[in-house]
Amino acid sequence: MRLPESQLAVMEAASATDPTSVDSLAEETGLKPETVTRAAFDLRDEGLVSIDETTATSAELTAEGETYLTEGLPEVRLYRAAIEAGATDEPVEMGQLLGTAGLEGSSVNIALSNFARKGYGSIDAGAVSADPDADPDTDSERTALAAIADGESVEDTGLLDQLERRELIERSERTVRSVTLTDDGVTALMEGIEAAETVDRLTPELLTSGEWEDVEFTEYNVEADAPELDGGRKHILRQTADRVKDVLVGMGFKEMEGPHADADFWINDCLFMPQDHPARTHWDRFALDVNPIGSVPEDLAGRVEDAHRNGVSEDGDGYHSPWSREFAEAIALRGHTTSLSMRYLSGYAGADIEPPKRYFSVEKVYRNDTLDPTHLLEFFQIEGWVMAEDLSVRDLMGTFEEFYAQFGITDLEFKPHYNPYTEPSFELFGTHPTTGELVEIGNSGMFRAEVLEPLGIEVDVMAWGLALERLLMLMYGFEDIRDVHGTLCDLQLLRETEVLY
Amino acid sequence: MPVVDVDPDELRRLTGAAEKSDEALKTDLFNLGLEYEGETEEGEMQLEFAPDRLDRLSVEGVARSLRYQYGDDRGVYVPKTNDPDWVYEVDPDVPAERPYVTGAVVRGVNLTEQALDSLIQLQEKLHATMGRQRAKGAIGIHDLTMLKGKVLAEDATENSITYTGIEPDGDRFVPLDSDAALTPGEVLTEHDTGKKFADLVSEYDRYPAIYDELGLFSFPPVINGRRTEVSTDSRDLLIELTGTDQWTIDHMCNILCYALDARGGTIEEVEIHYPDATGPYADVGAELVRPNLETEEKEVSHAEIERMLGIELTADEVVDHFERSGLDATYTLGDQTIYTVEVPPYRVDVLHPYDLIDDVGRAYGFNNLEPTYPDVGTVGGRHERTRLEDAARASLIGLGFEDLLNFHMISAAENYDRMRIEPGTDDFGAGEPAVITEPYSEDYTQLRSWVLPSLLMVLENNTHRAYPQDLAEIGLAARVDETENTNVAEHRSIAAVLARNDASYEDAKARLQALCADFDVELDTPAIDHPTFIPGRAAAIVVDGEHVGVLGEVHPAVLVEHDLELPVAAFELRLDALVD
Repeated sequence: MRLPESQLAVMEAASATDPTSVDSLAEETGLKPETVTRAAFDLRDEGLVSIDETTATSAELTAEGETYLTEGLPEVRLYRAAIEAGATDEPVEMGQLLGTAGLEGSSVNIALSNFARKGYGSIDAGAVSADPDADPDTDSERTALAAIADGESVEDTGLLDQLERRELIERSERTVRSVTLTDDGVTALMEGIEAAETVDRLTPELLTSGEWEDVEFTEYNVEADAPELDGGRKHILRQTADRVKDVLVGMGFKEMEGPHADADFWINDCLFMPQDHPARTHWDRFALDVNPIGSVPEDLAGRVEDAHRNGVSEDGDGYHSPWSREFAEAIALRGHTTSLSMRYLSGYAGADIEPPKRYFSVEKVYRNDTLDPTHLLEFFQIEGWVMAEDLSVRDLMGTFEEFYAQFGITDLEFKPHYNPYTEPSFELFGTHPTTGELVEIGNSGMFRAEVLEPLGIEVDVMAWGLALERLLMLMYGFEDIRDVHGTLCDLQLLRETEVLY
Repeated sequence: MPVVDVDPDELRRLTGAAEKSDEALKTDLFNLGLEYEGETEEGEMQLEFAPDRLDRLSVEGVARSLRYQYGDDRGVYVPKTNDPDWVYEVDPDVPAERPYVTGAVVRGVNLTEQALDSLIQLQEKLHATMGRQRAKGAIGIHDLTMLKGKVLAEDATENSITYTGIEPDGDRFVPLDSDAALTPGEVLTEHDTGKKFADLVSEYDRYPAIYDELGLFSFPPVINGRRTEVSTDSRDLLIELTGTDQWTIDHMCNILCYALDARGGTIEEVEIHYPDATGPYADVGAELVRPNLETEEKEVSHAEIERMLGIELTADEVVDHFERSGLDATYTLGDQTIYTVEVPPYRVDVLHPYDLIDDVGRAYGFNNLEPTYPDVGTVGGRHERTRLEDAARASLIGLGFEDLLNFHMISAAENYDRMRIEPGTDDFGAGEPAVITEPYSEDYTQLRSWVLPSLLMVLENNTHRAYPQDLAEIGLAARVDETENTNVAEHRSIAAVLARNDASYEDAKARLQALCADFDVELDTPAIDHPTFIPGRAAAIVVDGEHVGVLGEVHPAVLVEHDLELPVAAFELRLDALVD
């Protein structure tokens, strides 16, 4: 008979009469306990050994148990303080004793509740009397803790239960296996067993020499955990952005591109935002300390100013707000990517804008908001618009239903809203896929004539915007966006976040 | 967005909808666009709404909108006005920065506690919105019985007050919430409200002031005098508004008049006498009668309404929806049915006929519309720049880098000092900063001029996480460049760090080589000195003959500065260098 070396070693170390524990076998053979166990099970399957399983209980100290072992049980500390203060003769006020015993917080209650239970004395109306006959040096709980710490076993189960209730120890059970040779095993040993040669690694030499045919490979513990490995992966916010882009490209949208630092003209004036609008004040936007924009298209600037002052169409009114070219030409970080839509719709971005067209971007915008778990100073805005003849608000609703359905958000609600640049305007609300809550998921509308006419657009344009981070938080359930986006990010979180597709 | 506090009991009383529960009211209000945000300590509902319908900044206005929604009111309502008894004389000395005034007299108002609270709230909210924090328009409301008008002529019954300008150390008066008589200048330095609004007038040569026969009683836009303070005992009120735009203050006044009309007040006109009809008054004229509660007319075609809403309606249905929105409409049927729509004077949001279509849609109920997917064929696609960025990112991830995403705003200390470089030098990454004029905090004072500082910050914040930390980011970097139209040059930069026990120059270069090979560009790495890197272990990245980045082992001083206890090899290059 040929057996692998480990199995042969176990056979030779085992006895036919006395069950031998795996630990003893491991010690005797010099093999690892898990190797012995594996070999024993293989031998049992061959009928050469039998395995007995028993359950052994062991106890370990908790952190609290360790503390009491070194510092003394709270009730014992209280007792010793009481003795010192003469509480054997007459009761001593408790507050004083707690101070000398150095007890505070939760250990006060622990001391009081165990003090009387263990016969150290009594507590009445806030005063402590100590029993002179009690002997803290023989406190059975302390003795047991010390024994457990030394790895000795404690047989008194009542005492162990008590210590467990006090959360001073943790008991665990484990299976102890013992191996005994069967009659077949004894016979096989007597007849002689040869050790098969085992190899650890498959080497080029083994392969080329053909030796691999005569060897047995050592078995691995294939269930054991391997070392952790963090591979490269795309940032989850990028993954989310890519998914949004895929959906939009699939719906026929082309991607826009343009400057982050831009003239207010493109960021706000083209959008018919009055220059004294609260969102255009310095505390809402990030102006840059650079010279004003070199140039904006003259004819367009004239038409935009006219729309602000006088409105468009015969019946139209303008704003009763100041308008200055200088204000429009100042450079700031864009507060929305609608500045890109304006550049594209005006034709100055060089793109083909013959209707019909669909355009989008998923790019950063900058707002001087309060930094908190759901608000960043810079975040990604999903921006999209459709330009075509005869679009109605029903087309707008249908487009958004289709888009959000791709992310599991159905039952959209359209709350009539107001934006200076769209009319009608809607805030989009959707049901959170897991919490069922109604959450705001975007802002949309039909661009106003005061926006489109100066740009020279003669057909309808519907548009919408939405924070990518909001979609991300809905999809992943993150509570603090700062863990994900920015230099305070937690690498561990980024490594462990489940991949969504 | 504005928030208005509304007492639900007052709302029920003013709408006459006594049976409505709070929950039912909330639903009705949501449909009007007023979102319930919570309640005040006194149990008032806090309602948030978009800043178009500013007539809803008080419980009276919200109630009016609800009555239209319930169908209890229909069409345009205009309060009746009595002929003027008071004249607002405007003196040529009035501050040139704040030339306009308007107002009204309201008699017989029933000012209960709730009505007075609501009036004060409306005044404050109008200041915050249309009034642009009082800069554009400011309201003063006075107890009329405490005013003594100047009689203009012996036979006339009219009284007058005078809007003028005075020296900062001119006449004294006792402002609200004070016992002392102060000059306007003293109000700005000594009175709490005065300090708060001092910036509005501190640049003026003369301060705005309103006088009656007894003296100075109002210092707009800062504070009123105590003499004319309004209380629940007040029955007759004088309202004055001053500002930088006549239309704006006239419409703020209209909204106040509608609210006081709902409290039983009778509106009485006032005359405004400007010095002449030149300069700022050329467009408005020398003599005005206010409030101007005339309606305005706008035309909108039936075809436009149907096109915008995507549904078919009869003309009578359209008129019905207009009337339920508080508008009146007449039309003549024909090839082109055109509605002439009458708009009441509290509506400040109707600029274009499209705004009336929105009202029809709201009355119809936008959520009653059936969504349709537009039958428009277009071809989608990604921009070349983001395709390149994605391809480069895929290569980096294949090389084992964890992709990161950091902020574009950074501090000068992080961008330069902690990397041992100085702005404006030739070192890669040391471009002139694009500085933010009013930063959120000292951590975000400029746009980053390169990306490596962000990665070093991530390493610094993650020293408790498992190593190796091989991180990369492709992101925006920017610097001042006056050859650009925006004066800011923006580019995408690829940055990578290898933070591990055995990180070396060779490890970084191996990965850079692989990246360049993926994009088939020729890489050279001539030695350079760069303060961020160890001397003798830094190289310029030269791609197809152009200096586009830097590569090396990070200097120990930079590592220690970032609390790092192991070597870091790094590189950064412009993304567009990979374009073949």
